[in-house]
Amino acid sequence: MSGQASPQHAAAVARRLRTLSAGALVAAVAVFVLGADYALSQAAFVATYAIAGLGMIVIVGQCGQISLGQGALLGLGAYVEALLVVRGVPAPLAMAVAVAAGTAGGWLASLPARRLGGLYFAMSTLAFALIVEEALVRAEALTHGAAGLAVPTLVLAGFPVDASWSQALAAALALALAWIAARRCVASRLGRSWHAVREDEAAAAACGVDVARAKRAAFAFGGALSGLAGALYAHWIGFVSPEQFGLMLSFELLMLAFIGGARELAGALWGALVVVALPQAISVLTELLPAGTATPAGLESLLFGAVVVALILLRPGGLTASRTRGEDPDLTDTA
Amino acid sequence: MSALVLVQVLTSGIAVGCIYGLVALSFVLIYKATETVSFMQGDLLMAGAFAALALNQGAGWPLPLAMAGGVTALVLLGAALERTVLRRALGQSHLTALLLTFGLGLMLRGAISSVPAASHSMHRLPVGFAGETLQIGALVLAAEHLVVIGATVLLGAALTLFFRGTRAGLALRACSENAAAAELMGVSVARMHTFAWALGAGLAAVAGLLLAPVTFVHLNMGLIALKAFPAAVLGGMASLPGALAGGVFLGVVESLAGLMLPEGAKDVVPYVLLMAALLVFPDGLAAGWRRRR
Repeated sequence: MSGQASPQHAAAVARRLRTLSAGALVAAVAVFVLGADYALSQAAFVATYAIAGLGMIVIVGQCGQISLGQGALLGLGAYVEALLVVRGVPAPLAMAVAVAAGTAGGWLASLPARRLGGLYFAMSTLAFALIVEEALVRAEALTHGAAGLAVPTLVLAGFPVDASWSQALAAALALALAWIAARRCVASRLGRSWHAVREDEAAAAACGVDVARAKRAAFAFGGALSGLAGALYAHWIGFVSPEQFGLMLSFELLMLAFIGGARELAGALWGALVVVALPQAISVLTELLPAGTATPAGLESLLFGAVVVALILLRPGGLTASRTRGEDPDLTDTA
Repeated sequence: MSALVLVQVLTSGIAVGCIYGLVALSFVLIYKATETVSFMQGDLLMAGAFAALALNQGAGWPLPLAMAGGVTALVLLGAALERTVLRRALGQSHLTALLLTFGLGLMLRGAISSVPAASHSMHRLPVGFAGETLQIGALVLAAEHLVVIGATVLLGAALTLFFRGTRAGLALRACSENAAAAELMGVSVARMHTFAWALGAGLAAVAGLLLAPVTFVHLNMGLIALKAFPAAVLGGMASLPGALAGGVFLGVVESLAGLMLPEGAKDVVPYVLLMAALLVFPDGLAAGWRRRR
């Protein structure tokens, strides 16, 4: 039996080695170019985005649904964490509550899936996110509205996590936990029902898969990871306000999943790397321009949009996927 | 007194609703003809207003000419984008189209906001009737609201004539109903896709020009398109008059909510309505969508 599986196994090991060496190369270049401290603080953000991205990949890539409101679920996690930690609740406990809030939010956002499919359901997640954002602005007594809240440093077991290396370590640990959970879910009966729903809802239902339950589970799981990512993000930034968790963040996370390749969990890491690194690279580039020719913020979003459009056109399957066969002949040649 | 207030609030609600409706109309038009979910209608709207502004104040064209020029520019932009980029999203998943149009919208917004003169302040199109009021007895109505309503009615009539009476309109409708059958009847489906995007972008630009006297011309005026999604869904996603009616309904409900409900509820009302409509009447609204699949 082991002989039968070995060629596949060897291929998997080779692929994993390639991924690891590519990752190591990226890390080495980042440390060399940016300096260790800056690279580590960015690594914390990459890991945090990757946690949220894993949740998005479960929803988009595994279960085949579109969520336009994931940013609001991060917002829920971030606000729960901030409000509890300010009131003296220990951070790990607060984080557990933040994860629970994210789960509940995801579950709530998925309720329309009982009756809706496709684009209509995507619209309902957008409506959910806009309602949550408005509620965060309006509940001023609790959230200070649009002015935002300051978030204290993360303290784990009496140890303040304020240095960039400890932040990177904490984020990486959280990412590892999230990764294990996601892998186990995807490999389980639940994961198989997600794949069935993604491929064909009617066929899945005919095979005894509870379609609405599968979607609910995907959103609850994605919401839990978003809550965790939001809680960490609040600590890294040190400040939360409703506008951070608006439509732009939701789209960034969708792009993250799409760019990385939504079919594979590893896409979350690659997508997070691109989404975190791209704005920084672009702002470095725009600083090279002579001052006064153009507004840097405008140029940044112009270039960000251009890169997103180019990636979608050139790599419709994401970075982790091999190039898929498109209709256009010059897209089908092999890389 | 309260009846007068009600009429005034309703007028402004209908006017704003007309703009929601026009944006929803452009969204549904593109969606029906090309099956592409466009998230850039708000950015097209803003670009249309800025194009007219630039032609008027930068190039010194007279205002009516500048407005026509702005709409024409957006029609050309829509057609060009379809020919080069959006065509590649045809037949791919909704997610691809969604991200592609969002990326294009981001580019458009970035391009305009990188012009220092555009991003620094709010601008106003120098239309003659801005700030004027119409007084009927004790009733005071804002001229810009009446202009918006009148222009929308005229545009709706023109579009109805176009879709019922002209060959191009019929071809576009045929293409939206069944692209394969339309192709067999000799309609060039690819050309109709370009045409739908050109028309959709032009309609968004008109909405932008109508919105310009009501608010200012600024970079975030495209956010109004977020309200066009509920309008499109309320109208059934597959019907052009429905989208317009959905927009007007939304505008009226929103203005009434602003009058009667506590501060802040107004901004949530469209989305609560969307959720309620989706949950309570999923079959009625979703029927057209399911048939298309």
